[in-house]
Amino acid sequence: MVDTNQKEFRKRDLLYVVPLWLLSLILPDPHLDHLRKESRFRRRDLFYLGGLLLLPLMWPDTHLHHLMVLAGINAILALGLSLFLGYAGQISLGHAAFFGIGVYTTAILTTRYGFPTFVAFWASALVSAALAYLIGKPILKLKGYFLALATLGFGEIFLVIVRESHSLTGGVIGIFGIPWFSLAGFSFDTYLKQYYLTWGVLIGLLLFSKNLIRSKIGRAFLAVATSEDAASTVGIKVAQIKLGAFVIGAAFAGFAGSLFACVMSTANPETFGLNLSVLIIMMVILGGMGNLYGPIAGAIFLTWLVDILGKYQEYSLPIYGLILILLLISFPDGIGTRLNIRLIYLISYFGRKKRREKAEL
Amino acid sequence: MSFLSVEEIIKNYDGVRALNQVSLHVRKGIIKGLIGPNGAGKTTLFHLISGMERPASGKIYFKGTDITSMEPYEISLLGVGRTFQTLQIWGNMTVVENIMAGMHTRLKEGFLSCGLWLPWVKRTEKEALKEAKEILEFLGLLGRWKWLASQLSFGQQKILEMGRALAMKPELILLDEPAAGLTATEVRRLAERICQIRKEGVTILVVEHHMGLVMEIADEIAVLNNGELIAEGTPDVVRRNPQVIEAYLKGARVDA
Repeated sequence: MVDTNQKEFRKRDLLYVVPLWLLSLILPDPHLDHLRKESRFRRRDLFYLGGLLLLPLMWPDTHLHHLMVLAGINAILALGLSLFLGYAGQISLGHAAFFGIGVYTTAILTTRYGFPTFVAFWASALVSAALAYLIGKPILKLKGYFLALATLGFGEIFLVIVRESHSLTGGVIGIFGIPWFSLAGFSFDTYLKQYYLTWGVLIGLLLFSKNLIRSKIGRAFLAVATSEDAASTVGIKVAQIKLGAFVIGAAFAGFAGSLFACVMSTANPETFGLNLSVLIIMMVILGGMGNLYGPIAGAIFLTWLVDILGKYQEYSLPIYGLILILLLISFPDGIGTRLNIRLIYLISYFGRKKRREKAEL
Repeated sequence: MSFLSVEEIIKNYDGVRALNQVSLHVRKGIIKGLIGPNGAGKTTLFHLISGMERPASGKIYFKGTDITSMEPYEISLLGVGRTFQTLQIWGNMTVVENIMAGMHTRLKEGFLSCGLWLPWVKRTEKEALKEAKEILEFLGLLGRWKWLASQLSFGQQKILEMGRALAMKPELILLDEPAAGLTATEVRRLAERICQIRKEGVTILVVEHHMGLVMEIADEIAVLNNGELIAEGTPDVVRRNPQVIEAYLKGARVDA
């Protein structure tokens, strides 16, 4: 169903082709993802899955493994937000707060009360989701800028609470000595093991999101994003759908936070300020809104970019900003989306032409 | 009590009285046309019935239930579907998904069962897809079921919007200018389809500027002018009403 693509082919797109082709080997095709729901699992997915499994084995560099663990955690965050931002069309500047709730829930449960990490993992998601429910109920009546400001305020309030409640969270110093993630006696104590853990969780959540998107809930998300009036006239409870997207996003962030706590073994309020919220939004926007693979691609790319730029200390921020601006200018609808539209279009260009001629006869 | 009754509705917009003491009754199973010059308050009345706006005073009853202060989704759950004058199609979804989204309330799954894709979700989705295709076949859009809705032409989008309202199996459907922007042949087909929908037991309230269409399909017509109901009755009666000719048609003869 490539011809559902209305983007027109232009000559200068030929210039994109080579880098596009190279990049598209890494970047999945996000566009039209929800349109092709009949095929649940495509051959291309298998390709990505294989690449994912083999990558750390082919490239046995612990720094890369660690980076990919962080990228995976960021991808879970971005995936959760993309349901809320990319599909349901709402904005949240406080997504990092739910990540923080996940981190602290795991930290407190494992170090203070000696819960196993597996239990803390689920508890983190539950606590994040429950808080999102309580916060979202009043906040989600707001729209656009007001919603952005309200969620921003929530994120900041959460940060202050964490810093000031020393007895519970350890204040600015944080909590140390969170155990490795372990399951039935198997401890995920190397970066390689954590890599498989993180990306395994991500794949699970990706499948969950995929199912959600191709079901009636996904249609309701898209309906709410485009026209709330029309959505309400077919009986979609707009408030409930928005709240659902918010809570699911928060639960994902809770999972991510729990993994992060186990990987870094510390919980510190500095890790989930506004910076992280904005970074997650950038991942979603840069990767491509309204699809599920885009945010993952965005997360890998930005995690890697931030790591690379770390070497250039004082110049890192201007370069970072410049790269983002350039990317957004050349790929306004997301790297993943744009690349794949072009590529799919190119591949199918002649085939489509032939088919069209046949149809006209 | 009639099927839908609007009782002495008053609606103001910043001091402008859009509707003044309008009462309207629709019997079950008929096609009722609602006509009037631009700014007469027709769309406002639709907004009030579908719950998107609240009247300053007056009551609206649907099947004996007071729906005046209900939320739009509650009203649609009672069986009121509508289309919009300014298209409100979901361009980011495919044609068939637009129809399936219209079935939202008839599919009972929750967030969790959808996310886990439990067996019954799979089954109902399959059935919903099949039914959506039947609706598209009825509308003549089946050939484009996989297209993005934004890629359809304006006329097709209007028809799709009607299909979306039909997908929720409404008992009353409010059509806001369904023929606006359609070609003559499309209007003919639209008239046939509206009559066919009526045959299936759906009551239709239609706002339309296309006089030929309204006169042909409507069983009853109500005429609004400056927020007041100036005439009501069968097409023939309305056509001969001097007030209607004076106010709405500015002296021109009404041709059927």
